[in-house]
Amino acid sequence: MEVSSNIPPPDLKGRRILIVDDDRLNIRILAGILKTEGYVLSDANTGEKAIEVYANFKPHLVLLDVMMPGIDGFETCRRLKKAYGDDCPPVIFITAKNESDDVVEGLSAGGADYLPKPFKPKEVLARIRSHLQNQLLSEQQKLLVEQLNKADAAKTRFLGMAAHDLRNPLSSIRGLAEFLLDGTVGQLTPDQLDLVNTIHSASQSMLTLVNELLDVATIESGELKINPEPHDLTEIITKSVYLTNIEAAKKQTRVDFNPQPPSVVAKIDSAKMRQVVENLLSNAVKYSPPGSIITVEVRSEIGLRTCGFSVKDQGPGIPENERHKLFKDFGRLSVQPTAGEKSTGLGLAICRKIVEAHHGSVVAENLPERGCEFRVTLPLPS
Amino acid sequence: MNFNGTILLVDDEAHIRKFVGLILKQLGAPRLLEAPNGKEAVAIYEKENPDLVLLDINMPIMDGIETLKKLREIDPECIVVMLTSLASRSNIENALALGATNYIRKDTPKEEIAKALSETITSCFAEE
Repeated sequence: MEVSSNIPPPDLKGRRILIVDDDRLNIRILAGILKTEGYVLSDANTGEKAIEVYANFKPHLVLLDVMMPGIDGFETCRRLKKAYGDDCPPVIFITAKNESDDVVEGLSAGGADYLPKPFKPKEVLARIRSHLQNQLLSEQQKLLVEQLNKADAAKTRFLGMAAHDLRNPLSSIRGLAEFLLDGTVGQLTPDQLDLVNTIHSASQSMLTLVNELLDVATIESGELKINPEPHDLTEIITKSVYLTNIEAAKKQTRVDFNPQPPSVVAKIDSAKMRQVVENLLSNAVKYSPPGSIITVEVRSEIGLRTCGFSVKDQGPGIPENERHKLFKDFGRLSVQPTAGEKSTGLGLAICRKIVEAHHGSVVAENLPERGCEFRVTLPLPS
Repeated sequence: MNFNGTILLVDDEAHIRKFVGLILKQLGAPRLLEAPNGKEAVAIYEKENPDLVLLDINMPIMDGIETLKKLREIDPECIVVMLTSLASRSNIENALALGATNYIRKDTPKEEIAKALSETITSCFAEE
């Protein structure tokens, strides 16, 4: 679709203007000027009447005289702003030429502009046109934002439903493949085993993807609930390192963890934090060349009331020009896994959201030699 | 696992019945009955009086929670273990409040399901 740079001015014909003035002559003059543009007009001769007319007429703009019997223009404006808030259209005060105090008070009462008397038709039309245009644009923008929010929520709901419904069949496929692999239902030939292994690993990577999509859907719909309890961060990392090392061994890669200090207790959701640790570890293995050593450190800075851990890899590091994508949904970088592993581009986005839900932070830093370091920082209970 | 009773496995998804059924067989469960929904499960329960019911929550016709209530009505002593995937916490809590003995995640790897099943069954029948 081509976007023209010459967007025609929006059609303002039929926009509604409410004229409020106790002087019939002023209303007649203004109406005469405004009718030429095709605006729809209504009028009131007091502030009280204006508020009444406003409710049914729903104007897109209000022209408001200052001095009137009963409540004055400023008070009328304040009442309208109070009653309708952000939905209240621009209010333009009608003032005599040299009443600059009125102008100031009018603008501070919520007025958008003022029209000096005596009226100059061209000026009246130009000012009103510009305010009506702004008003129309902000109306359209509000509508658009509303529609986008609805569409986004529908997308999240759909994502969650689809991912949810895919999980069970996928885990059955994976499980049934495991039964074929372990020989429970009879021995397979090497060729058959190869096929079943492929089914198994394909269903496994699909499950990982579906789980990550589900995490994103949960987080986006605001349903990410963390359950922080005192847990030993060192213990969580130790378990994750053990599991990661089983996978890492296939690439002759090793994860080193020398738990110092031996115990760091923080208020964390252990399952969610384990997900963060495992994700950072598996990324480190994924993006480091075979035979690498990944180093994990845990730290506790009691003075700063923080604790945390870091994962150092020996991969190519993060290209500076792609850094902004790193923690975003589907923010895949040009850097590729070194042994054909899969990446959804969701893992780090999920990590960031989980860490932030713990009031912590996660950052990535390239190391001077090679590789990069991911640092997670969490608050320590006071 | 030392268990000689009859197990009724209720799930609307045939692949889950097959998968969990194979795990139970591997664990040495001697007799396994299956039902694809709560309504059939209740009918089978009344006829066969199984020792243990493994019950899915989200099912058409009659869901797990409704089924659990019915089964507890028929037999207040019946042992029901819920089979859940990512079912919401409130559903599990609801089931436990209605008298379910325990719950097992069916969307985890085979070994984990086997371990959970064997532990649950062992603990359910420990006193007898």
